[in-house]
Amino acid sequence: MVASLNEQDVTSAVVDACRRGDRDAFRVLYEAHKDKVYSIALYFFHGDAAMAADVTQQVFLKLLGSIGQFRGDSGFSTWLYRFVVNACIDSTRSSAARARSTDPADLDMLPATGSHEDAFAKAQVAGSVRAAVSSLAPKIRIAILLRYFEDLSYAEMADVLKCSTGTVASRLSRGHQALARMLARFRGSSQRED
Amino acid sequence: MFENHDDQQFAARMMRELTLVEAPASIWTSIEEALSSEASSVSSGGRLETGWPRMLALAAIAILAIGGVVFWSINRIAPYDVVRVDASSGVDRVSIGEWIETGAASRARIKIGDIGTVDIAPNTRMQLLAARPNEHRLNLARGSISAQILAPPRLFFVETASSTVVDLGCAYTMEVDEAGSGRLRVTSGWASLEWDQLESLVPAGASCPTRPEVGPGTPAFDDASERLRQVLLEFDYSGAGSRAVEVVLSESRQRDTLTLWHLLSRVGPDDRPRIFDRMVALTPLPNGVTREKALALDPATLKLWREELAWTW
Repeated sequence: MVASLNEQDVTSAVVDACRRGDRDAFRVLYEAHKDKVYSIALYFFHGDAAMAADVTQQVFLKLLGSIGQFRGDSGFSTWLYRFVVNACIDSTRSSAARARSTDPADLDMLPATGSHEDAFAKAQVAGSVRAAVSSLAPKIRIAILLRYFEDLSYAEMADVLKCSTGTVASRLSRGHQALARMLARFRGSSQRED
Repeated sequence: MFENHDDQQFAARMMRELTLVEAPASIWTSIEEALSSEASSVSSGGRLETGWPRMLALAAIAILAIGGVVFWSINRIAPYDVVRVDASSGVDRVSIGEWIETGAASRARIKIGDIGTVDIAPNTRMQLLAARPNEHRLNLARGSISAQILAPPRLFFVETASSTVVDLGCAYTMEVDEAGSGRLRVTSGWASLEWDQLESLVPAGASCPTRPEVGPGTPAFDDASERLRQVLLEFDYSGAGSRAVEVVLSESRQRDTLTLWHLLSRVGPDDRPRIFDRMVALTPLPNGVTREKALALDPATLKLWREELAWTW
């Protein structure tokens, strides 16, 4: 049984244990981060579950292979998400990923937020949000996903994305504007729910 | 950039509609398999091992051959053949996530699908990350590999701690030391070193260094002057700035416009006109490239200029 841990629980002791080749420690790291890494990859790659699984596997294998180079001068999640960003952006550069377009069938295969009648409308909104996120440019898409799935600060995102906080702000702003434009039809209902 | 607060709040509310999706258990299974393979592949006495018992590998090959299975198209985890190049020659296979480690006296050759081969030098540690018809990806942790690839650009990638080598149709050698620093040396065609926003294009006869946390440096031809190559390292990794630019300008020959073209977008605005002027003195400005656009780093202009300059590289 592997305990479920939050980011805060992932201490330097766990990373140190990974460095020493402790397989259980690596499993702890994996369990703590796998869903976020997979979800980011899944939404980044338009709902392509196979691609998301591949990227998740690559990220954790690469992480383990490089864990000796983790110096702790930045947070562990900052370090981890550099691998995620590199894997996602590199994969979009491959010819197949470039050719891939948003496939409604892929997006439909994502788990719905509710399958009962009373959740139908909510599921429809979620589907539209997924499609809108998919249509963002890769660098804006990854910034938006990091912001809302990992709740990274601008400074942490700048570190992960290797750019200035100003660039982070600019990318997020462009992402927000694009999402707001594409999802404008839900403005009224969203405000009422709030 | 000022942000519309309403848009930001609305987008944030919308993003909350995206739920966290649980990663399938199969991912950990494949990671565990990869780790097990790695554990069993740790070489002893400098011998190459890939984790699969030789008989099992041969049986797998036979089954594939008899069944006529088109492995590449239906299975993402397509094993590569690994040929030992040492006293105990033989064929093993390597699968996704597996590590290959050569000892002080062993070498190996990997067949990369049907697009080429990678020769692994002694004391090299390398991992297979992806093997698909449209993406072949290795991780070079340390050591040296020589790749000979005949394929469309951006099909074969080698990741290192400091950058990714992207094959653009070429043959090259990539070396990485224990600290993750490396050097790409291209022997035919083109390759690029990429990291974050930084890209260094390296043609045949040229090399490019790369360092962790900084990424790829400025490429230079191997027959450029020693002084030029040395000062480029200082520019890339020691902050030598204008002092280094001065030396590069004085040492540059016509084909060193490769280096100057890369420097154009990497120096400060004060040094940029000097580099432009030196480039024009070495090679006439082609039609479609203007001083104004080049100094403004207009992407289309720089691309056009590079394509014209490449005839002299």
